[in-house]
Amino acid sequence: MDLQQPQSIFFLIFAGIVVGASLAVILHKNPVVSAASLVLAFFGLAGIYAIMNAIFIATMQILVYAGAIMVLVLFVVMLLSLREESHLEIWRNPLKQGSILLIVLVFAGIIIAAVNYSPDIPKLGPQNATNQADYTYNLGQKEGVPLQAKGNTATVGASTFLEFLLPFELVSVLLLAAVIGAVVIAKRDKLRNS
Amino acid sequence: MFCIGVFGVLLRRNAVVIFMSVELMLNAVNLVFITFSKSIGHVGGEVIVFFVMAIAAAEAAIGLAIVIAIHRHKKTVQVDEINLLKW
Repeated sequence: MDLQQPQSIFFLIFAGIVVGASLAVILHKNPVVSAASLVLAFFGLAGIYAIMNAIFIATMQILVYAGAIMVLVLFVVMLLSLREESHLEIWRNPLKQGSILLIVLVFAGIIIAAVNYSPDIPKLGPQNATNQADYTYNLGQKEGVPLQAKGNTATVGASTFLEFLLPFELVSVLLLAAVIGAVVIAKRDKLRNS
Repeated sequence: MFCIGVFGVLLRRNAVVIFMSVELMLNAVNLVFITFSKSIGHVGGEVIVFFVMAIAAAEAAIGLAIVIAIHRHKKTVQVDEINLLKW
């Protein structure tokens, strides 16, 4: 990873933001601080997506995750008036400490093995996977001239509606079920006078 | 990032913080998908990430509705106090 390119420096900055904010999410006692650092982690992650030229997904990340989901979470935190937790009492039990250490060692072993022994990833597309290359999606031919959808958003859109149409429709049905389910679960019973 | 999310799910007792750790795990998977989509050169990874985001939004709505319903009955969101089904 050469530090001559500005992308590497930006990646390090955003990756540091993401890791720091993720640690703050799980380690801080106050749930409001956890929610705020999760928003920071999502913004850093959107920056990483933008560095990788996935600008459609970066925008969707900010709109959907940092915009909608975190607003929901903050609503719930403020509605329920969650207090600070007491100190994590999992650290007291030596058996749990040993099992957590074992899980950490297993994860570290998996990561080291994956970095050292991973096979070369084949490059399927005709373009080289450089950071400046744009995606293109072939739509067929018209009078001998190949039609292409150029650019990130156009390619993702073309691929969604042409190749991934069935998952798209299924996800829309799933969203409908989720909305109905959320309303049913959180509705007040008419019999209670709360 | 995935490991941080796993530890968040295991170590915290507040239900909302557990939910936020699950969102961290989903975002870690999204990052891996987009990275491989970039290095292979196929745009399918980004489309999958789009669907994963939509599913995470649906799961957020339902999960938080469940947390609100539990709070309405037991006035708490600590997960060790929700033990009606325990033997």
